[in-house]
Amino acid sequence: MISKIAWRNILRNKRRSLILTASIVVGVFALILARAFVRGFMEQMLTNQIGTDVGYIQIHKPGYQADPGIDNSIESPGLIKEMLEGDSTMLRYSERLRTYGLICSAYNSAGVSIVGIIPNEEKKITTISQYIVKGEYLGDGTNQIIISTAIAEKLKAGLGDKVVIMASQPDGNIGSEGCRVCGIYETSNSGFDQTHVYASIQTLRQMLNVRNMVSEFVIDPVRRTMMPVVLDSLRKELQAVSGPSNRYEIMSYEQMLPLFVMQLGFYDQMFYVVYGIIAIALIFGIIDVMLMAVLERTHEFGVAMAVGMSNGKIFRMILVEAFLLGIAGTIVGLVIAYFTCLDLSRFGWDLSMFAASLRSWGSGSKIFPILLGSDVIKAAVIIPFVTVIGSVYPAMKAIRLHPVDAIRSI
Amino acid sequence: MDSQVARTEIIRVEDVTKVYHDNGVPVNALRGISLAVSPGDFSVIAGPSGSGKTTLLNIIGTLDKPSDGKIILDGENVASKTRRELAGIRLKKIGFVFQAYNLNPVLTALENVEFTMMLRGIDARERKRRGMALLEQLGIAELAHKRPNEMSGGQQQRVAVARAISNDPRLVLADEPTANLDSGTAIKLLKLMEKLNHEGGITFVFSSHDPQVIERAHRLLILKDGHIVTDKTNQ
Repeated sequence: MISKIAWRNILRNKRRSLILTASIVVGVFALILARAFVRGFMEQMLTNQIGTDVGYIQIHKPGYQADPGIDNSIESPGLIKEMLEGDSTMLRYSERLRTYGLICSAYNSAGVSIVGIIPNEEKKITTISQYIVKGEYLGDGTNQIIISTAIAEKLKAGLGDKVVIMASQPDGNIGSEGCRVCGIYETSNSGFDQTHVYASIQTLRQMLNVRNMVSEFVIDPVRRTMMPVVLDSLRKELQAVSGPSNRYEIMSYEQMLPLFVMQLGFYDQMFYVVYGIIAIALIFGIIDVMLMAVLERTHEFGVAMAVGMSNGKIFRMILVEAFLLGIAGTIVGLVIAYFTCLDLSRFGWDLSMFAASLRSWGSGSKIFPILLGSDVIKAAVIIPFVTVIGSVYPAMKAIRLHPVDAIRSI
Repeated sequence: MDSQVARTEIIRVEDVTKVYHDNGVPVNALRGISLAVSPGDFSVIAGPSGSGKTTLLNIIGTLDKPSDGKIILDGENVASKTRRELAGIRLKKIGFVFQAYNLNPVLTALENVEFTMMLRGIDARERKRRGMALLEQLGIAELAHKRPNEMSGGQQQRVAVARAISNDPRLVLADEPTANLDSGTAIKLLKLMEKLNHEGGITFVFSSHDPQVIERAHRLLILKDGHIVTDKTNQ
C-alpha cells in the first residue's frame, strides 16, 4: 500500500514528476551514450593501431622496444621463422625490417620510420594496403615505396616520382636508396601518416647492406580471443628455441602500447568521476523536487502521524516515491540510449566536421559506439540508488515535523 | 498505580500546563488542567476560541506534549514515551476525527479506512473485508471507490469516522467534527457516533462549541483561559 500511495503521489503532480523523470532520463541517456561513445572511440583507436602497424603479437630482440634501431634487430631470423611455420595455433605472421632515416625529394626531406615489409605477407597481417588512396600497393619489385599523403605534400612528390631514403647502416656508414613512389596511403591516424613510409624488405636490406636481418616478427592470432593461447604457446616455443640465453622477446600489443592501455584504464576510471558528477547533479534535482513534494504535503504527513504512521514508514514512503521516479527515469533513459547506441553502432556516428582532430587521435571520423551489458546494469543500479540518496534529506525533514504543527499547515 | 487507573479510567490528566512561545512571549494555553475520563464516556470539551480545547485534545491524543503535568492513557503514562511509541499508542488506542476530515486525497474511501489497518500490519484481504464492513455500517458502502474530492463534507466525515474506528480504538478524539457540516448532516453524524458509543463502547471526547454536540454530551467540560470552569454530567 505504501508503494500504491507513493505512486499516486507521483501522479498527483504530473508536471513536477515529469520534469524530474525527464532529468533522470537525460542523465541516464547522456551517461550511457557517452560511455558507449568513448568505448567505441578508444576501441577504434586501439584497433587502428593494432591493424595498421603494431599487430597483436611481436617477436624481436630484447631491448628493441626501448631502442628500435637497426642495431637491435635479429641477424639470423631462421630459427624463429621455422618455429612460426611449425606452430600449431594457425597463426599468420610477417617479418619486417625497420629503421629510422630520412626520405628526401628534390624539394624537401622528412625524418621517418622506414618499414621494410614483405608486401603479400604484410597484407594478411595489417591493413596498410587498404589505405592506398592513389596508385598501388607495393608489388614484387624492389625500389618502390609507398608514402602517405602528408609526406607526399611535404616532399611535393607524386606517383612515379623518385625519392631517396637514407639511414645508418650497422657499420655506421650511411646507406641510401632511390625509390619510385608507387602508392600514396592515408590512414585514420595523421600522426602515424607523418612518420611512416613502406618499401619492400629487400630494398631496405639493400640500403642497409644487411642480408637476412629482421627487426620484428608481427603475428596475427587470426582471432583476437585466441591471443592468450597463441601468446602462451609461442612463449614456450621461443624459450625452447632461444635456450637459456634469452635471445628473443615476445610481446603482446598491451606491452607494446603501454601508454595506450593505461589510457584505456584511465578512461574507465574517469567514468566513475562522470557517474559521480551526474549523480551529484541528480541528487540536487531530487532534493529540490522532493522537498517541494514534502512541503506541499506537510498537512498530510501531520495527519498520517496523528493516525499512527511511524516515522520509519513516512521515511520509507518518501524514499519509495523517489525510487519509483528513479526506476521510471532509468528505464526510459536506458531504452532510448540502447536504441540510439544500436543505431549508431550499425551506421556509425559521423563526425566528419571534426575529422582533422579525430585523425590526430587515430580513431577515424566515424565512431561506432560500443554498449556493454555492464554499462546498462551499472546505470540501472546506480541511478535509482542515487534518487533514493537524494530523497533522504527531504524524508528527514518530513519525519522531523511536529504532528500538531504539520496538521495546522495548509 | 497506573494499572489500577487503567481499570477505571481511560484518560487521566493531572495538573497539565501548556505554555507556547509566540515571538518569545509566553502564552499559557492550559493552566493546571486535571480531569479523568471513564471508558464509554461521551464527553465534550467546550469553550470559546482560544480557551485551550484543541490544545487539550492534542495533548490527550499524544500529538502534543504538555509543558508540565501527567497524561495517563489507558493506564500508560505517555510523558516518557518516544515518538515511535506514541505513534504506536495512537495507532492502537486512539482514533482521530478532524474538523477538516483530513482524508488522504490520493486514496479512495475504502483505502483511507484501510490505511490505518495497513499501518497496524493487517493483511490486505482482512483490511478490505473490515473496511467494507465499516463503510456499510456507516451507510457509505457505495462510496468505497470514490476519492475524497468526489464526496460531500458529510460523506467525507463519515469516512473519517470509519477510519478512526477501523483499528478498534478504545478512544476517539474528535476536534470540532461538525464545524464544517450543515446542521442536518451534523445531527446524522452525531447520531452515528452515539450509536458507536452505545453499541461499541468506544469512548468519545469532542472539542466543540456546536450546541448540537454539547446537548448530546454525557459530560460537559467548559474551558476558559486554560482552566476548566465547568465540569458537569448531563442526565
